[in-house]
Amino acid sequence: MMAHGNERTGRTMRTRPTGLPAWLVQRASAVYMLVFLIGVLGLAVLYPLHSYAEWKSWVARPTVTVAIALFFAALLSHMWVGLRDVLLDYARPASLRQALLWVVALGLCAAGLAMAWLLVLQQV
Amino acid sequence: MKFSISRYNPDQDDKPYLQDYDIDILPSDRMLLDVLLRIKAQDNSLSLRKSCREGVCGSDAMNINGKNGLACITRVKDLKEPVVLRPLPGFPIIRDLIVDMTQFFKQYDSVKPWLINDEPPPEKERLQSPAERDKLNGAYECILCACCSSQCPSYWWNPEKFVGPAGLIQAYRFIFDSRDTATEVRLENLDGAYRLFRCRTIMNCSEVCPKGLEPSHAIEMIRLNMLKDPGDSGALPTHSV
Repeated sequence: MMAHGNERTGRTMRTRPTGLPAWLVQRASAVYMLVFLIGVLGLAVLYPLHSYAEWKSWVARPTVTVAIALFFAALLSHMWVGLRDVLLDYARPASLRQALLWVVALGLCAAGLAMAWLLVLQQV
Repeated sequence: MKFSISRYNPDQDDKPYLQDYDIDILPSDRMLLDVLLRIKAQDNSLSLRKSCREGVCGSDAMNINGKNGLACITRVKDLKEPVVLRPLPGFPIIRDLIVDMTQFFKQYDSVKPWLINDEPPPEKERLQSPAERDKLNGAYECILCACCSSQCPSYWWNPEKFVGPAGLIQAYRFIFDSRDTATEVRLENLDGAYRLFRCRTIMNCSEVCPKGLEPSHAIEMIRLNMLKDPGDSGALPTHSV
Protein backbone atom coordinates (compact mmCIF):
# COMPACT_ATOMS: atom_id res chain seq x y z
CA MET A 1 0.00 0.00 0.00
CA MET A 2 1.26 3.45 -0.79
CA ALA A 3 -0.76 5.21 1.89
CA HIS A 4 0.65 5.30 5.37
CA GLY A 5 -1.60 6.92 7.93
CA ASN A 6 0.07 8.66 10.85
CA GLU A 7 -1.65 7.24 13.92
CA ARG A 8 -0.71 10.15 16.15
CA THR A 9 -1.89 13.00 13.92
CA GLY A 10 -4.27 11.04 11.68
CA ARG A 11 -2.69 12.70 8.68
CA THR A 12 -1.63 10.86 5.57
CA MET A 13 2.13 10.90 5.19
CA ARG A 14 2.34 9.98 1.51
CA THR A 15 0.05 10.69 -1.38
CA ARG A 16 -2.34 7.85 -2.15
CA PRO A 17 -2.98 7.32 -5.85
CA THR A 18 -6.45 8.65 -6.49
CA GLY A 19 -9.33 6.90 -8.18
CA LEU A 20 -12.20 9.18 -9.07
CA PRO A 21 -10.18 12.42 -9.63
CA ALA A 22 -7.73 10.64 -11.96
CA TRP A 23 -10.60 9.04 -13.86
CA LEU A 24 -12.27 12.44 -14.26
CA VAL A 25 -9.06 14.15 -15.37
CA GLN A 26 -8.50 11.47 -18.01
CA ARG A 27 -11.98 11.89 -19.45
CA ALA A 28 -12.17 15.69 -19.25
CA SER A 29 -8.72 16.06 -20.85
CA ALA A 30 -9.70 13.65 -23.63
CA VAL A 31 -12.80 15.71 -24.42
CA TYR A 32 -10.82 18.97 -24.49
CA MET A 33 -8.09 17.49 -26.71
CA LEU A 34 -10.68 16.14 -29.13
CA VAL A 35 -12.49 19.48 -29.37
CA PHE A 36 -9.18 21.36 -29.73
CA LEU A 37 -7.84 19.09 -32.47
CA ILE A 38 -11.09 19.19 -34.45
CA GLY A 39 -11.13 22.99 -34.08
CA VAL A 40 -7.52 23.41 -35.20
CA LEU A 41 -7.98 21.04 -38.14
CA GLY A 42 -11.18 22.85 -39.12
CA LEU A 43 -9.45 26.23 -38.99
CA ALA A 44 -6.49 24.90 -40.97
CA VAL A 45 -8.85 23.73 -43.69
CA LEU A 46 -11.03 26.87 -43.73
CA TYR A 47 -8.28 29.46 -43.26
CA PRO A 48 -5.01 27.88 -44.38
CA LEU A 49 -1.82 29.50 -43.13
CA HIS A 50 0.97 29.41 -45.67
CA SER A 51 4.06 30.71 -43.98
CA TYR A 52 5.97 30.40 -40.73
CA ALA A 53 5.30 34.09 -39.99
CA GLU A 54 1.54 33.53 -40.34
CA TRP A 55 1.64 30.54 -37.99
CA LYS A 56 3.79 32.47 -35.51
CA SER A 57 1.42 35.42 -35.38
CA TRP A 58 -1.58 33.07 -35.05
CA VAL A 59 0.01 31.21 -32.13
CA ALA A 60 0.94 34.53 -30.50
CA ARG A 61 -2.70 35.62 -30.27
CA PRO A 62 -3.54 35.45 -26.54
CA THR A 63 -6.67 33.28 -26.97
CA VAL A 64 -4.74 30.80 -29.16
CA THR A 65 -1.82 30.74 -26.72
CA VAL A 66 -4.18 29.98 -23.86
CA ALA A 67 -5.96 27.28 -25.89
CA ILE A 68 -2.61 25.68 -26.79
CA ALA A 69 -1.44 25.89 -23.18
CA LEU A 70 -4.66 24.18 -22.08
CA PHE A 71 -4.16 21.55 -24.77
CA PHE A 72 -0.71 20.67 -23.47
CA ALA A 73 -1.93 20.73 -19.87
CA ALA A 74 -4.66 18.27 -20.92
CA LEU A 75 -2.18 16.15 -22.90
CA LEU A 76 0.32 15.92 -20.04
CA SER A 77 -2.31 15.20 -17.39
CA HIS A 78 -3.86 12.57 -19.68
CA MET A 79 -0.45 11.02 -20.16
CA TRP A 80 0.17 11.07 -16.43
CA VAL A 81 -3.01 9.13 -15.64
CA GLY A 82 -2.41 6.66 -18.46
CA LEU A 83 1.25 5.99 -17.65
CA ARG A 84 0.49 5.91 -13.93
CA ASP A 85 -2.14 3.23 -14.58
CA VAL A 86 0.30 1.15 -16.63
CA LEU A 87 2.89 1.36 -13.84
CA LEU A 88 0.32 0.58 -11.13
CA ASP A 89 -0.63 -2.54 -13.07
CA TYR A 90 2.70 -3.88 -14.19
CA ALA A 91 5.65 -2.35 -12.29
CA ARG A 92 6.76 -4.65 -9.49
CA PRO A 93 8.11 -4.45 -6.81
CA ALA A 94 6.62 -1.39 -5.11
CA SER A 95 9.99 0.39 -4.81
CA LEU A 96 10.56 0.12 -8.58
CA ARG A 97 7.01 1.32 -9.21
CA GLN A 98 7.55 4.35 -6.96
CA ALA A 99 10.81 5.20 -8.69
CA LEU A 100 9.28 4.89 -12.16
CA LEU A 101 6.31 7.05 -11.10
CA TRP A 102 8.77 9.76 -10.08
CA VAL A 103 10.65 9.47 -13.38
CA VAL A 104 7.40 9.83 -15.33
CA ALA A 105 6.19 12.72 -13.15
CA LEU A 106 9.47 14.63 -13.48
CA GLY A 107 9.63 13.96 -17.23
CA LEU A 108 6.11 15.26 -17.77
CA CYS A 109 6.79 18.31 -15.57
CA ALA A 110 9.91 19.07 -17.61
CA ALA A 111 7.94 18.74 -20.86
CA GLY A 112 5.24 21.03 -19.43
CA LEU A 113 7.76 23.67 -18.39
CA ALA A 114 9.47 23.55 -21.79
CA MET A 115 6.12 24.01 -23.52
CA ALA A 116 5.13 26.86 -21.18
CA TRP A 117 8.46 28.58 -21.90
CA LEU A 118 7.92 28.30 -25.66
CA LEU A 119 4.46 29.82 -25.34
CA VAL A 120 5.73 32.64 -23.13
CA LEU A 121 8.37 33.41 -25.75
CA GLN A 122 5.57 33.97 -28.28
CA GLN A 123 4.19 36.77 -26.12
CA VAL A 124 7.42 38.77 -25.80
CA MET B 1 -15.47 -36.01 -30.00
CA LYS B 2 -11.98 -34.90 -28.97
CA PHE B 3 -11.37 -33.25 -25.61
CA SER B 4 -8.11 -31.83 -24.23
CA ILE B 5 -8.40 -31.35 -20.51
CA SER B 6 -5.90 -29.61 -18.26
CA ARG B 7 -4.55 -32.00 -15.65
CA TYR B 8 -2.51 -31.11 -12.60
CA ASN B 9 -1.83 -33.12 -9.50
CA PRO B 10 0.36 -31.05 -7.14
CA ASP B 11 1.78 -34.24 -5.58
CA GLN B 12 3.07 -35.54 -8.93
CA ASP B 13 3.25 -32.77 -11.52
CA ASP B 14 5.54 -29.77 -11.81
CA LYS B 15 3.06 -27.92 -13.99
CA PRO B 16 -0.32 -28.49 -15.64
CA TYR B 17 -0.48 -30.44 -18.91
CA LEU B 18 -3.26 -31.26 -21.41
CA GLN B 19 -4.60 -34.82 -21.52
CA ASP B 20 -6.56 -35.94 -24.58
CA TYR B 21 -9.78 -37.92 -24.42
CA ASP B 22 -11.79 -39.27 -27.37
CA ILE B 23 -15.42 -39.70 -26.42
CA ASP B 24 -18.38 -41.02 -28.40
CA ILE B 25 -21.17 -38.52 -27.88
CA LEU B 26 -24.49 -40.10 -26.88
CA PRO B 27 -27.95 -38.56 -27.34
CA SER B 28 -28.04 -38.00 -23.58
CA ASP B 29 -24.89 -35.82 -23.72
CA ARG B 30 -26.64 -32.48 -24.09
CA MET B 31 -24.38 -30.33 -21.96
CA LEU B 32 -20.60 -30.32 -21.48
CA LEU B 33 -20.99 -31.43 -17.87
CA ASP B 34 -22.78 -34.59 -19.04
CA VAL B 35 -19.69 -35.50 -21.08
CA LEU B 36 -17.29 -34.56 -18.28
CA LEU B 37 -19.11 -36.86 -15.87
CA ARG B 38 -18.80 -39.70 -18.39
CA ILE B 39 -15.08 -38.98 -18.75
CA LYS B 40 -14.79 -39.02 -14.97
CA ALA B 41 -16.58 -42.38 -14.89
CA GLN B 42 -13.80 -43.71 -17.17
CA ASP B 43 -10.94 -41.88 -15.46
CA ASN B 44 -11.85 -41.21 -11.86
CA SER B 45 -8.61 -39.29 -11.24
CA LEU B 46 -10.10 -36.31 -13.14
CA SER B 47 -11.18 -33.65 -10.62
CA LEU B 48 -13.79 -30.99 -11.12
CA ARG B 49 -16.42 -29.17 -9.09
CA LYS B 50 -20.13 -29.48 -9.84
CA SER B 51 -23.34 -29.40 -7.92
CA CYS B 52 -26.72 -28.21 -9.21
CA ARG B 53 -26.01 -29.06 -12.90
CA GLU B 54 -28.42 -26.33 -14.05
CA GLY B 55 -26.49 -23.04 -13.93
CA VAL B 56 -27.56 -21.96 -10.48
CA CYS B 57 -24.71 -22.89 -8.13
CA GLY B 58 -21.77 -21.71 -10.29
CA SER B 59 -19.53 -24.59 -9.17
CA ASP B 60 -18.48 -25.88 -12.58
CA ALA B 61 -17.06 -22.65 -13.99
CA MET B 62 -14.10 -23.39 -16.24
CA ASN B 63 -12.32 -22.11 -19.31
CA ILE B 64 -13.96 -23.73 -22.34
CA ASN B 65 -12.11 -23.26 -25.64
CA GLY B 66 -10.58 -20.06 -24.25
CA LYS B 67 -13.76 -18.53 -22.86
CA ASN B 68 -14.99 -18.92 -19.30
CA GLY B 69 -18.38 -20.54 -18.82
CA LEU B 70 -20.39 -23.08 -16.88
CA ALA B 71 -20.00 -26.66 -18.11
CA CYS B 72 -23.58 -27.50 -17.10
CA ILE B 73 -25.22 -24.95 -19.42
CA THR B 74 -22.75 -25.17 -22.33
CA ARG B 75 -24.29 -27.18 -25.16
CA VAL B 76 -22.04 -29.89 -26.56
CA LYS B 77 -23.28 -29.33 -30.11
CA ASP B 78 -22.07 -25.72 -30.02
CA LEU B 79 -18.47 -26.68 -29.16
CA LYS B 80 -15.63 -26.68 -31.66
CA GLU B 81 -13.24 -29.65 -31.63
CA PRO B 82 -10.92 -30.29 -29.96
CA VAL B 83 -12.66 -28.98 -26.87
CA VAL B 84 -9.91 -27.52 -24.68
CA LEU B 85 -10.85 -27.30 -21.01
CA ARG B 86 -8.71 -25.46 -18.52
CA PRO B 87 -9.25 -24.23 -14.96
CA LEU B 88 -10.34 -20.59 -14.49
CA PRO B 89 -7.39 -18.44 -15.59
CA GLY B 90 -5.57 -16.32 -13.04
CA PHE B 91 -6.63 -18.42 -10.06
CA PRO B 92 -4.27 -20.81 -8.21
CA ILE B 93 -4.94 -24.40 -9.29
CA ILE B 94 -5.71 -26.91 -6.56
CA ARG B 95 -6.06 -29.88 -8.89
CA ASP B 96 -7.10 -30.39 -12.54
CA LEU B 97 -10.10 -28.07 -13.11
CA ILE B 98 -10.46 -27.05 -9.45
CA VAL B 99 -9.16 -23.61 -8.47
CA ASP B 100 -8.59 -21.88 -5.16
CA MET B 101 -11.33 -19.23 -4.78
CA THR B 102 -10.07 -17.84 -1.42
CA GLN B 103 -8.90 -14.49 -2.82
CA PHE B 104 -12.06 -14.14 -4.90
CA PHE B 105 -14.27 -14.54 -1.84
CA LYS B 106 -12.05 -12.19 0.20
CA GLN B 107 -12.78 -9.50 -2.38
CA TYR B 108 -16.47 -10.38 -2.29
CA ASP B 109 -16.46 -10.09 1.51
CA SER B 110 -14.62 -6.75 1.31
CA VAL B 111 -17.64 -4.99 -0.22
CA LYS B 112 -19.78 -6.03 2.78
CA PRO B 113 -22.36 -7.90 0.72
CA TRP B 114 -25.18 -7.59 3.19
CA LEU B 115 -27.82 -4.98 3.95
CA ILE B 116 -26.66 -2.26 6.35
CA ASN B 117 -29.43 -0.24 7.97
CA ASP B 118 -29.03 1.27 11.43
CA GLU B 119 -32.61 2.44 11.69
CA PRO B 120 -34.89 0.35 13.93
CA PRO B 121 -36.62 -2.33 11.88
CA PRO B 122 -40.30 -1.75 11.16
CA GLU B 123 -42.92 -4.10 12.55
CA LYS B 124 -43.21 -6.13 9.35
CA GLU B 125 -40.57 -5.44 6.69
CA ARG B 126 -38.60 -2.67 4.95
CA LEU B 127 -40.79 -1.87 1.98
CA GLN B 128 -39.60 -0.89 -1.49
CA SER B 129 -41.52 0.57 -4.39
CA PRO B 130 -41.51 -1.48 -7.61
CA ALA B 131 -39.15 1.12 -9.15
CA GLU B 132 -36.71 0.82 -6.24
CA ARG B 133 -36.81 -2.95 -6.44
CA ASP B 134 -36.26 -2.79 -10.20
CA LYS B 135 -32.78 -1.30 -9.64
CA LEU B 136 -31.60 -4.59 -8.19
CA ASN B 137 -32.49 -6.50 -11.35
CA GLY B 138 -29.44 -7.38 -13.39
CA ALA B 139 -27.29 -7.55 -10.24
CA TYR B 140 -28.95 -9.85 -7.69
CA GLU B 141 -28.88 -12.76 -10.17
CA CYS B 142 -25.08 -13.09 -9.85
CA ILE B 143 -24.20 -16.61 -8.73
CA LEU B 144 -20.54 -15.88 -7.88
CA CYS B 145 -19.19 -18.44 -10.34
CA ALA B 146 -16.11 -16.19 -10.91
CA CYS B 147 -16.26 -16.47 -14.71
CA CYS B 148 -16.08 -12.67 -14.94
CA SER B 149 -13.27 -11.94 -12.47
CA SER B 150 -11.22 -14.81 -13.86
CA GLN B 151 -11.48 -13.40 -17.40
CA CYS B 152 -10.54 -9.86 -16.31
CA PRO B 153 -6.91 -8.84 -17.02
CA SER B 154 -7.09 -6.12 -14.35
CA TYR B 155 -8.01 -8.80 -11.82
CA TRP B 156 -5.15 -11.03 -13.01
CA TRP B 157 -2.59 -8.29 -12.26
CA ASN B 158 -4.05 -7.10 -8.95
CA PRO B 159 -6.24 -9.78 -7.35
CA GLU B 160 -5.35 -8.55 -3.85
CA LYS B 161 -6.20 -4.91 -4.56
CA PHE B 162 -8.83 -4.79 -7.32
CA VAL B 163 -12.25 -6.00 -6.16
CA GLY B 164 -13.01 -7.47 -9.58
CA PRO B 165 -16.26 -7.46 -11.54
CA ALA B 166 -18.03 -10.07 -9.41
CA GLY B 167 -17.40 -8.15 -6.19
CA LEU B 168 -18.29 -4.86 -7.84
CA ILE B 169 -21.65 -6.00 -9.18
CA GLN B 170 -22.40 -7.15 -5.63
CA ALA B 171 -21.30 -3.73 -4.35
CA TYR B 172 -23.69 -2.14 -6.88
CA ARG B 173 -26.50 -4.36 -5.60
CA PHE B 174 -26.21 -2.83 -2.11
CA ILE B 175 -25.25 0.72 -3.12
CA PHE B 176 -28.44 0.93 -5.18
CA ASP B 177 -30.65 -0.82 -2.62
CA SER B 178 -33.11 1.79 -1.28
CA ARG B 179 -33.15 0.02 2.11
CA ASP B 180 -29.38 0.29 2.60
CA THR B 181 -28.14 3.34 4.55
CA ALA B 182 -24.37 2.84 4.15
CA THR B 183 -24.05 4.18 0.58
CA GLU B 184 -21.40 6.79 1.44
CA VAL B 185 -19.28 4.29 3.37
CA ARG B 186 -19.58 1.79 0.53
CA LEU B 187 -18.48 4.40 -2.05
CA GLU B 188 -15.53 5.50 0.12
CA ASN B 189 -14.54 1.86 0.44
CA LEU B 190 -14.27 1.64 -3.35
CA ASP B 191 -12.38 4.90 -3.97
CA GLY B 192 -8.64 5.00 -4.63
CA ALA B 193 -6.67 3.81 -7.62
CA TYR B 194 -7.15 0.10 -7.02
CA ARG B 195 -10.46 -1.07 -5.53
CA LEU B 196 -12.75 0.02 -8.38
CA PHE B 197 -10.64 2.15 -10.69
CA ARG B 198 -8.39 -0.67 -11.92
CA CYS B 199 -11.34 -1.44 -14.20
CA ARG B 200 -10.28 -0.39 -17.70
CA THR B 201 -13.69 -1.17 -19.23
CA ILE B 202 -12.33 -4.12 -21.19
CA MET B 203 -15.79 -5.68 -20.75
CA ASN B 204 -14.64 -9.30 -20.77
CA CYS B 205 -16.83 -9.64 -17.67
CA SER B 206 -20.02 -8.84 -19.56
CA GLU B 207 -18.89 -10.95 -22.49
CA VAL B 208 -18.47 -14.15 -20.47
CA CYS B 209 -21.13 -13.88 -17.76
CA PRO B 210 -23.11 -17.14 -18.05
CA LYS B 211 -26.16 -15.41 -16.55
CA GLY B 212 -26.07 -12.60 -19.13
CA LEU B 213 -25.29 -9.92 -16.54
CA GLU B 214 -23.21 -6.82 -17.26
CA PRO B 215 -20.78 -6.07 -14.42
CA SER B 216 -19.09 -3.39 -16.56
CA HIS B 217 -22.35 -1.42 -16.60
CA ALA B 218 -22.67 -1.82 -12.82
CA ILE B 219 -19.12 -0.46 -12.41
CA GLU B 220 -20.02 2.53 -14.59
CA MET B 221 -23.12 3.16 -12.47
CA ILE B 222 -20.99 3.13 -9.29
CA ARG B 223 -18.62 5.68 -10.86
CA LEU B 224 -21.56 7.92 -11.77
CA ASN B 225 -22.94 7.52 -8.25
CA MET B 226 -19.58 8.74 -6.91
CA LEU B 227 -20.10 11.83 -9.08
CA LYS B 228 -23.58 12.25 -7.56
CA ASP B 229 -25.03 11.55 -10.99
CA PRO B 230 -28.22 9.53 -10.65
CA GLY B 231 -27.50 7.85 -14.01
CA ASP B 232 -30.13 5.67 -15.62
CA SER B 233 -32.96 4.70 -13.41
CA GLY B 234 -34.14 1.15 -13.45
CA ALA B 235 -32.56 -2.23 -13.88
CA LEU B 236 -29.09 -2.96 -15.20
CA PRO B 237 -29.07 -4.18 -18.77
CA THR B 238 -28.72 -7.90 -19.39
CA HIS B 239 -28.15 -9.92 -22.53
CA SER B 240 -29.14 -13.35 -23.69
CA VAL B 241 -26.53 -16.09 -23.51
